Amino acid sequence: MSAKPTAAFFRAEGVLVSSGVMQAAMFMAGQRAGMRERALRFGQALASAPLFGLLGQNDRTLGNRVAHLCYRDMTEDRIVVLAEEYVDDVLSEKILDSGIELLRRAKADGHRIVVLSEGISEIMERVREKWRYVDDLVCNRLEYRAGKATGKLLDPVIGGYEGGKWLSQYAAVHDIDLSRSFAYAGHGPDLLLLSQVGHPCAVNPDFTLRKAAREADWPLMDYKA
Amino acid sequence: MSDAPVTLSIRETLAGKHILLTGASGFVGKVWLAMVLNDIPQIGRIYVLLRGKGRGVKERFEKILNESPVFKPLHEAHEGRMSEFISQRIEVVAGDVSQPHLGMDTETEARLRRDVDVVLHCAGLVDFNPDIREALSSNVEGAMHVADFVESSDHASVLHVSTCYVAGHRDGFVTETIVTDRSPNGTPLHAADEYAKLQEIIAGVQAENDDPATEVNLREDVVRRLAERGHQGDYKRVTDMVGRLKRKRLREMMAKAGTDRAKALGWPNTYTYTKALAELLLECRSDRVRFASFRPAIVESAMEFPFAGWNEGFNTSGPLVYLAGTWFRHVPAAAGNALDVIPVDSVCRALSIVLCALIRGEASQVYQCGSSDRNFLPVDRLTELSALGHRQHLRKHGSDALERLVLSRWDALAADPEHVLNVTNIRKLMGQVTRYLKHGMPEKIPSEVREWADDLSKTTDSGVRKLRQIEDVLEMFMPFTYQHFCVFQCRAIDRHPVAEREFRFAPEDIEWRSYWLDVHMPGLRRWCFPEYEDKPKETYAPQTPFRLLDAPVPESGESRSHAPQPAREEAG
Repeated sequence: MSAKPTAAFFRAEGVLVSSGVMQAAMFMAGQRAGMRERALRFGQALASAPLFGLLGQNDRTLGNRVAHLCYRDMTEDRIVVLAEEYVDDVLSEKILDSGIELLRRAKADGHRIVVLSEGISEIMERVREKWRYVDDLVCNRLEYRAGKATGKLLDPVIGGYEGGKWLSQYAAVHDIDLSRSFAYAGHGPDLLLLSQVGHPCAVNPDFTLRKAAREADWPLMDYKA
Repeated sequence: MSDAPVTLSIRETLAGKHILLTGASGFVGKVWLAMVLNDIPQIGRIYVLLRGKGRGVKERFEKILNESPVFKPLHEAHEGRMSEFISQRIEVVAGDVSQPHLGMDTETEARLRRDVDVVLHCAGLVDFNPDIREALSSNVEGAMHVADFVESSDHASVLHVSTCYVAGHRDGFVTETIVTDRSPNGTPLHAADEYAKLQEIIAGVQAENDDPATEVNLREDVVRRLAERGHQGDYKRVTDMVGRLKRKRLREMMAKAGTDRAKALGWPNTYTYTKALAELLLECRSDRVRFASFRPAIVESAMEFPFAGWNEGFNTSGPLVYLAGTWFRHVPAAAGNALDVIPVDSVCRALSIVLCALIRGEASQVYQCGSSDRNFLPVDRLTELSALGHRQHLRKHGSDALERLVLSRWDALAADPEHVLNVTNIRKLMGQVTRYLKHGMPEKIPSEVREWADDLSKTTDSGVRKLRQIEDVLEMFMPFTYQHFCVFQCRAIDRHPVAEREFRFAPEDIEWRSYWLDVHMPGLRRWCFPEYEDKPKETYAPQTPFRLLDAPVPESGESRSHAPQPAREEAG
């Protein structure tokens, strides 16, 4: 048997938290400085929601890029403070206890815990403080210039098909035995991520992933809390 | 020969040294005194010059040490031995910088002339537009009296605390130099002539107020007003009222005369003008008086010492931050302008470094102590941070739902002073509403509505008065927040690398977001805002009150200098 360490990979959205990046983007846009900015950016976030939904079951990279445009010209100070508020007031109510239990069990089994999220680092780093079992967090990062967000996401954008490629690199760097590792995810674009580990599990999957998981005979989990 | 700066040890340099401190009851003076006593117990003797006479001065000093939270770390470190510890290191001297010979008695002055190594002159009047006589006496003549003392002393030098804003109305990079021949707007200037001119202005205002015609006019005015109210004023009553009015008028005229002169020469207010004049007069005596001018920028809440957030009184950013937490939204500020803020403990560390440089004869003439050159903080960022700080606070601690849900999200913004919703326009609008409610309501409306309108007009009238105050505050700060883009060079201090890490001056290490949100705003909320709201101030009461012992056995500077022990160890 291989002596290599193993890992458990979790996609945050849908597995650990029930809310996604669109809610965060709309929350942030609605709290911009100045009424005009608030209205404009909230409208922008709202308009990007259908596109995000449309692309949600396929490559979400473009959806993520569009959703995060509403951060444009927002100061880092405001984003950090609002992220704290968002986590405390909104996200803490959306945490899925069943997902946290999965985290706990994986940690107890000796796996390295890796969480992947489409959320921005300002939010996810704060959430991570609440999840005590996480060894590594990989999330989206906003680009800043002169203290203000440009509205662009730095590469690699988490949420698309890059997840699978990223996972291979991560396993090589940390010498992880993927064949004995676990992965939990719920979206179509996570197919590549799930297919690379020995123990994939589709959690609260969308239509695309549910269909694929059934065909691949992967375990399925559904929970709402 | 190498030009590399020599590393200096603050503790070793100040060990056994005797320092005369003026302005010990002020914000900076108190923190510096507490810091030195806490961190450099091997200091020789600190002569604290306080106004008053005899036992009263000592009681005043005891009150400062027993009530100000600044001295809490010292009380906690020394507990029962605080009186002994302080009395061995401090001598309180009755005096007044505005008086010749610093108001000291002859014997004390002679003794101090022999003993004092360096004078730390923090005393000054920091009101922006005070009665010019008081500003002249405190800020200009005070500095001259200190210079007289230094000139006649055996070996003392002086560190004169000024302000970066002596630069006046100007834009750009402000270097660490004293401009001796012209004012900020380029008017030719000679220090002695300007001092004489100022005295002439004061004499002129005084003469005008003393003019019998002025008194006749005032008397007529008083009699008329009393008659309007149905009173018949007797001679004594009228004379008393005229006397009061004359004094009030004189103060107002003196304040206006100072402000007018300052503005005519390119300074924003009397404070910066008189501080600049003091520097110029000191510079004229630089061949006889060894001095350095120390110019802090806007001194704000402590980062660490005496504890994070310590602040007091009306400081520069306080009223602006306070405003950002009210319904008022448009703070007149130009995006990208610096508001040069520096924590008080950083200032006190820098003071100690420059004092050491002076003692070692290595000091430059001017040291600016700010952050804009090394860690730029634009005023629009500061406005947003203030709004975010209020948001964080009001969300959790707002007194009602309106504050928690609406006011917390009512962000203050940096805006052009001409913005349509500026404070002047709001005040005018509210004034018109008040006038309508009082006098413009139609005759035929029901009496209930009229009563309601009367009540409402009282509220709006009070609002107009508050807005007038806000307008005055904003106008006072406009030179710093909107009109000028200034960056103050702050490099002279780098010529003195410091051995002890805890004394290093490093404004570049300040992370503004955490400083503003986690240190400064909670500090203002705790120590300053109650004063703005006429609420009782929090005081400190040590378990064992400090008493200045009358005849402590002074340890000689030399003996202490060979026994450098940290304060905490001495406490044990």
